[in-house]
Amino acid sequence: MRLGMVIDLDKCIGCRTCTVTCKSHNAQPPGIWWNRVFTPGSDFHQAASGQEGHLQMSFLPVSCQMCDNAPCEKVCPVGATYTDERGVVLVDYERCIGCRYCIAACPYNVRQFNWEDPKKAKERVGYEKGYEYGYPVEIRDPDGRLIYTPNRPVGVAEKCTFCFQYTSKGELPACVSSCPSKARIFGDLDDQESEVSTLLRDRSSFRLKEELGTQPKVYYLPPNKQ
Amino acid sequence: MNVPLATKPRPLQETAPQINRVLLLSALVLLLSLGAWGYQLSQGLIVTNMRNPFSWGLYIATFAFFVGIAAGGLIVSSSVYLFNLEKLKPLTRVASLSAFASTLGAGAMILPDMGRIDRILNLILHPNLRSPLVWDVAVISTYMVVTFLSVYVQLLPEWRESGRGFFNTWTKSRTPEEIQHFSKIWSRRVAMVGLPVAVLIHTVTALIFATQASRGWWNTAILPPDFIAVAVASGTALVMLVSLVVVGKARFTEFQGAFALLAKIVGGALIVHFFFVGVDLLVHGWWGSPESQEIFSLLFGTYAPVYLTELLLPGFTMLFFLTKKGSSTAKTLIFGSVLLFIGVFAHRLMLMFPAFNAIPLTLSLPGIGMESWAYPISVGVLRPGLPSFVTFWAYTPSVFEVVIALLPFALVTFVIALALKLYPFLPVRRG
Ligand code: SF4
Ligand code: SF4
Ligand code: SF4
Repeated sequence: MRLGMVIDLDKCIGCRTCTVTCKSHNAQPPGIWWNRVFTPGSDFHQAASGQEGHLQMSFLPVSCQMCDNAPCEKVCPVGATYTDERGVVLVDYERCIGCRYCIAACPYNVRQFNWEDPKKAKERVGYEKGYEYGYPVEIRDPDGRLIYTPNRPVGVAEKCTFCFQYTSKGELPACVSSCPSKARIFGDLDDQESEVSTLLRDRSSFRLKEELGTQPKVYYLPPNKQ
Repeated sequence: MNVPLATKPRPLQETAPQINRVLLLSALVLLLSLGAWGYQLSQGLIVTNMRNPFSWGLYIATFAFFVGIAAGGLIVSSSVYLFNLEKLKPLTRVASLSAFASTLGAGAMILPDMGRIDRILNLILHPNLRSPLVWDVAVISTYMVVTFLSVYVQLLPEWRESGRGFFNTWTKSRTPEEIQHFSKIWSRRVAMVGLPVAVLIHTVTALIFATQASRGWWNTAILPPDFIAVAVASGTALVMLVSLVVVGKARFTEFQGAFALLAKIVGGALIVHFFFVGVDLLVHGWWGSPESQEIFSLLFGTYAPVYLTELLLPGFTMLFFLTKKGSSTAKTLIFGSVLLFIGVFAHRLMLMFPAFNAIPLTLSLPGIGMESWAYPISVGVLRPGLPSFVTFWAYTPSVFEVVIALLPFALVTFVIALALKLYPFLPVRRG
């Protein structure tokens, strides 16, 4: 099994629903965003770019590209970052030593660091008292490695897990199920009958920074230019 | 300075009372820096100005600086044996000492950079052998042991006589001549084993960066050889500087030949370094891709002051040390070395700036007529007045970072001063 995702840029309306659901389902501390959506060519999201009279606007969601040849995993000195048997790149919050080599190594800048204790950060930014968000319990992989906890330890790296808490039970990642435009398709790239495989066969697609040889498992269907 | 004629080798203590002041000062700075580290431990790396877009800063630059100057020791001692540079022989102990101290400094600097120092044992329990960081931990630890042994075997004969030092009870049952002989053979052996390790610590430290295709500024095969060139230059300069202090004004002329030779080594290594820099800039620049244009605008635009420091100061030292005037007095040698250190430090800082501020996920957008558009990075911290996503992070170290980065400087000074105070590092006056 090789879990992957196809993002149809024709359908994406740049609403950032996925950014928000990702953040809240995965209890990301203040300032940490696993999943970003921006308007290519523009300094501001939702601002058209291009030459006078020929403006256009499309959107590009970027989260962990789940590289098959993942530099973040190879550089990790203690094997805290690893790929599970479904091809998902994960971080063990209990093993990470906070060296941040993976942040320098990832070509997609998706890795986030817990610069401060998330509890303190939440207090400081003034979220309403008692406001708790995110999947409420910790998740361990079959080997007992801690890959999700709503209370992140300070000083460790984190990133998208393809919503391990859901996908390990056969459900969809939060960004996929919450996308109002159905721009995200999730599935097994090894299964020739899956929707992702069919789309990749039938439509032209690209991957980000393909020339680096990271072999991402997130594919994009290019937008039709209007 | 009133220096008594030494008939027997003596610790520096009797010749230079200022050493106590140096010890006190470095101990104070050490405490201050440890205090700041303590505060960082309680607050997290948030007390630094590093953030997601710029995740390695002053600590890693300082670490690379100390790895660089750690080379000198074994390069000096080994060349004594390899090239029969008898002139340098009296300086091999000082050389080994400064190498050992700098390695300690490099090791100490890496610790505060870790987000989870409490899990440091994971490096031994779960090493990932594909990670260049693991290779670096292995070679630097080896180098620390080798340089320590190098100091130890060279001091043994004196320790045998004076009954000082440590790990030396076994020498009691041997004659001084036996120990003398032992020291001679093993100094040579350790220096020979040490040379490849010295080369490796630079190669591997450079590979931490050079292997990363995500960062164009690092991803070049010239980085490891250039690290070695810079290490030979700055490491030798450190040996020279420490030796100048140990020798003092009064005995300067006695070792003048050795110093002139060291200055030549520094100058020669810098020629090689500038050759690499030139070739690297040419290869980065000639093809003229948007990525390399970005790097050039960082080098000669945003970070021009730091980059020019890196080029001009060592450039001056190179020329200066190759002249007779520059290499013949203690003053000029100290002047040239200090400029070199500042330049090399700038060089280490410049390892970070163009690497992090040229965003890896930069795309070309044909329809929009844009050759490079950088995808904004999440800062990682939510603060009033601070954007959540940026494409440039104006990194300057915070006050805490600066104080914590003083740790290796204080530690190295303290260790060298203490060793000089306790034990004799310069042989008896000859003739
Ligand atoms: S996108 Fe980055 S974090 Fe994700 S697998 Fe690739 S290198 Fe690792
Ligand atoms: S920060 Fe953590 S996950 Fe990243 S490379 Fe270091 S130990 Fe591995
Ligand atoms: S939720 Fe769907 S439509 Fe909205 S930004 Fe994300 S991918 Fe695009």
